[in-house]
Amino acid sequence: MSTVLRRTSNSVAPKVPLAESMRLFFRLRPAAFATILTVVMLAINIAVQPHFGPVQQLAAFAPIALAAMATAAAVIGGGIDLSISAQMTFASILLVGYLTPAGLGGYIAIPILLVVGAVLGTLNGLLAVVLRLPPIVASLASMFILAGINLRLAPTPVILFDGWVLNLASQVWFIPGALLTIGVPLALWSFFVRTAFGRNLYAIGGNDATAFSAGVNVGLIRVASYAIGGVIAAVGGIALTALVSSADASTSSSYVIGAITAIALGGIVITGGRGGLLGAVAGAAVIFLVQNMLTLFNVSQVWLNLVFGALLLFAVITGSIIAAPRKENNS
Amino acid sequence: MDAKLRAPEAKTHRSEPGGVLLDVQSLSKRFGPTVAVRDASFSIRAGEVHALVGENGSGKSTLVKILSGIHAPNSGEISVDGTRFKSFTSPRASQAAGIVTVFQEVLSVGSRTVLDNLWLGADGSFTTKVRKTDKAKRAQKILAELLEHPPRLDSRVEDLSLSDRQVCSIARALLRNPRVLILDEATSALDYDSRSRLFRVVKRLCAEGVGVMLITHRMDEIEEIGDRITVLRSGITVGTVDDEKWTTEQLVVMMTGSDHLAPAAARVETREHVTDAPVVLETRGLSLAPGQAPIDVQIRAGELVGLAGLEGQGQDVFLKSLAGLGNVSGDVVRTEGDREAVISNRENAHSKRIAYVPRERRGESLFEWMSILDNFSIATVNEDVRGGFLSPRAAARRFSDYVSRLSIKTGNTTNAITTLSGGNQQKVIIARWLATKPEILLLNDPTRGIDINAKRDLYRLLGELTAEGMAVVMLSTEVDEHVELMDRVLVFDDFECTHEFHHMDLTRQGLVASFFGKDSRDEHGLAQNQ
Repeated sequence: MSTVLRRTSNSVAPKVPLAESMRLFFRLRPAAFATILTVVMLAINIAVQPHFGPVQQLAAFAPIALAAMATAAAVIGGGIDLSISAQMTFASILLVGYLTPAGLGGYIAIPILLVVGAVLGTLNGLLAVVLRLPPIVASLASMFILAGINLRLAPTPVILFDGWVLNLASQVWFIPGALLTIGVPLALWSFFVRTAFGRNLYAIGGNDATAFSAGVNVGLIRVASYAIGGVIAAVGGIALTALVSSADASTSSSYVIGAITAIALGGIVITGGRGGLLGAVAGAAVIFLVQNMLTLFNVSQVWLNLVFGALLLFAVITGSIIAAPRKENNS
Repeated sequence: MDAKLRAPEAKTHRSEPGGVLLDVQSLSKRFGPTVAVRDASFSIRAGEVHALVGENGSGKSTLVKILSGIHAPNSGEISVDGTRFKSFTSPRASQAAGIVTVFQEVLSVGSRTVLDNLWLGADGSFTTKVRKTDKAKRAQKILAELLEHPPRLDSRVEDLSLSDRQVCSIARALLRNPRVLILDEATSALDYDSRSRLFRVVKRLCAEGVGVMLITHRMDEIEEIGDRITVLRSGITVGTVDDEKWTTEQLVVMMTGSDHLAPAAARVETREHVTDAPVVLETRGLSLAPGQAPIDVQIRAGELVGLAGLEGQGQDVFLKSLAGLGNVSGDVVRTEGDREAVISNRENAHSKRIAYVPRERRGESLFEWMSILDNFSIATVNEDVRGGFLSPRAAARRFSDYVSRLSIKTGNTTNAITTLSGGNQQKVIIARWLATKPEILLLNDPTRGIDINAKRDLYRLLGELTAEGMAVVMLSTEVDEHVELMDRVLVFDDFECTHEFHHMDLTRQGLVASFFGKDSRDEHGLAQNQ
C-alpha cells in the first residue's frame, strides 16, 4: 500500500476513485461543504419567503457569524475559547452602558473595545498556556466569571437610542453594515494566514510538539490566537448591539453552542490546525438559515436544539471522514 | 548545496575540519530521584560523524534532548564553536547556536504542506525570515538530493509514506544550515534508498565542515559512515573509540561493563528448568508487522520466558498479542490438554486463564484515586459479593494472602494506592492479576522503576509461581534479569524473533550482542519492510 502511495504522489495521472477525489476536494477546501449547504438553504429561504430582506437578515446573522469566527481563531491554534459569547456581551455592555454615557460613544469607542477584547482574549490564552489549564475548562470558568461581571454591570438591559452603531444594522453609506463587521475581520484574517504568524498558527494547531521542537514559540502564538479571538469578539459585541439596539447581560451564553456547531460545520477541526474563518462564516450561515427555515415552516422552537444537535453530529462525522489521511499499513 | 545558498553567517563561522565544534563537559540530568544522565563528556569535531551508542536507558535520548534545548541539564557545560552555554532554554536557542536535531519519532504537521513543514520554525513568530521563492527553490533542491521521487511541495505531509515524512523532517533540519547535526535514530523510519541517500548527504555535509552526531543501534550504519564512537553506559560516557578497527564485541563490553550493574537480579531461588512439561501456549505463524517473518514459539507450564531486544523491536507487540491485544496476523493458541483455543481478544484470553500486567503502572494499571484494596480487587470483584452487596471484609481477606506472599508493605489497605512506593504498587497490581488464578502470567517490564528489594521479592515470587506450574512470559529491558532469571530468552529485532537462548547459553555479552545482531537485518529484509 505504502509503496503504491509513494508512486502515485509523483506519477502523472494517478487513477483516483470518485469518492476519494471528492474527499480530497473537500479536504483541501474545508469551507466548501458548508458553503454548498448555505447556497442550497439560501435558495430555499428566498423561494419560500418573498420578503427576504438581505440587509436585515445580514444584520441578524452578524453576531452568530462573528461568534463563530472568534471561536475559530483559538480552535485553529489548538485551543478553544468558550467565553466568546460572554466577551461579546461584555463589549456590548461597555459600549452602551459605560462608553456612550461617558461621551466616548463615537468612533473612539472602536479602538477602545478592540483593545479591551484583545486583553480579555490574552487573559484567556494565558490561563491555558501559562497555567497549563485544559483550555475547555479554563475558558468555561472565564465564561461564567464574565457572565457574572456582565450581570453586575448591567442588571437590566440598557437601551441605545442613537449613534453610528445603529447604522450597522442597516446601511453605512451604501454598504450593508453587517458586511463591514463580518467582512473586515475576514479580510484581515485572510491576510494574516499568509504571514509567518499564520503559518505558525496552523502548525501549532496541527502538531504543537513538532512545532516546538522545530523552534516555534508555541506559547506566544497560541496566546496571540486567543487575543485575535478576543478582538473579533469585540466586533461581534458591536454587531450584537446594532442588532438589538441595546446591551443585555442575558446574551452572555447565547452563542456558545451555535459557535461551536458552526465551526464544526465549517470544516474547522476541533483539535486544531485545519479550516479557516471563511468556513466559520459558512457554518454560521447554515445554522442561521436552519433557524430561519424552522420559523418559516412554523416549526416550534422546541425542535431547535434537536436540529442543532443533529447538525453537529452530522458535521463532526463528515468532518472526520473528510479529514482522515489515506491509510498506511506500516505506520 | 553550494555556498551561496547558505545563510552568510553560517559560512563565516564554519570551523576548519578537525577543530572541535561541540564540546560537552560533565552534563548531568535528574528527573526526580532518577538520574538519567550522570556524567556525559564528549566532543564533536568539524567534519566527523560521531556515533553515540548505549543500551536502552543509558541516557542517549536525554542527552540529545539536553543538546536540543528540550531539557535543561542540572550541571555541566556545552560549548558550540567556543561559545559556552549552561543550557539551552528552548529548541529555538539550541538551533540558534547551530545544533539541529532530527528525532526518532517522525515529527511533522500532517495537515500542512511539504513546503510549510520544511520551513517550520525557520521564520520568526510574526516575521518571515526567508523569501518565499528562496524557500521553494531550496526545499526543492534538498528534497531532490534526499529522494528519487520527491513529493510536490504543495502536497500534504499526511498523504506521504512514513519514510517520506521522516525525510521531510530531515530536510527541515538540513535547511537550517546546522553546524552540528544530530540524527537521533532518525534512520529507523527510512526505507533503504532514502537511508543511502541521507548518508551521501551526511558525507557531503562533513566535507563542508559540519559535525554530525549519529545515534543508532545499527552497527552497520556506524561501520558505513561513523568516524568515532562514544559509548554511554548508565548515563556516563565510558569512552570514545577513535580506532577504525573497532569491533561490535568491543563496544558491547563497553556498553555492558565488565561487572554486573544490577546484582539485584541474582536469583534467590535455584530451580530446575522445565523441558517436558505440557505446552500451554503457542504461536503459529504470528507475524508482528506486515512482511516480517512469522514466529512459532511454544511456552510450557512452569517456564519463565524472557522477551528481550532493543526498545520497540516488536517484543511489546508480541507480549500483547499473547494477551489477545495485538493487531497481528497468525494465531495465538492456548492448549489445555487436548483442547485448543485461539486467543483473539482480551476477553477470551481472560477466560482462558491468561493474565496480562501492562507496562505503564500509571495510566494502564493504577486507579490512583482508589484505595489499595479496591485496586487489588477490581479484576475479581465478583468474588466479594455477599447477598448482592460488595463485602470489603471478603476482599480484605483475599488480599491478606497476597500481602504476605508478595511481602507487600501496606499500612491501612483503605489508604490510597498512591501512598505506596512504586515497588509495592506494582506488587498490588500483580496481586490483582494473580487473584484471577491465571495459568499464564504475562508481565510487561514489571521491574521498571522499582527499588531493589521489591525486585528481589518479585524474582522470588516468579520462582515460586513457576515452581507451582504457572507459565510466565516477561518482557524486560534489563539484561541482568534475562541472564539471571529466565529459562529461555527470545530476542526481538525489527519485529522478528531473531535469537533464542536457553538458560545455560545465556551470557550478558552474548545477549547484548544479539540485540545488535546484523544477520537478521540484511537489505532484503529491510526492503520488504517498506
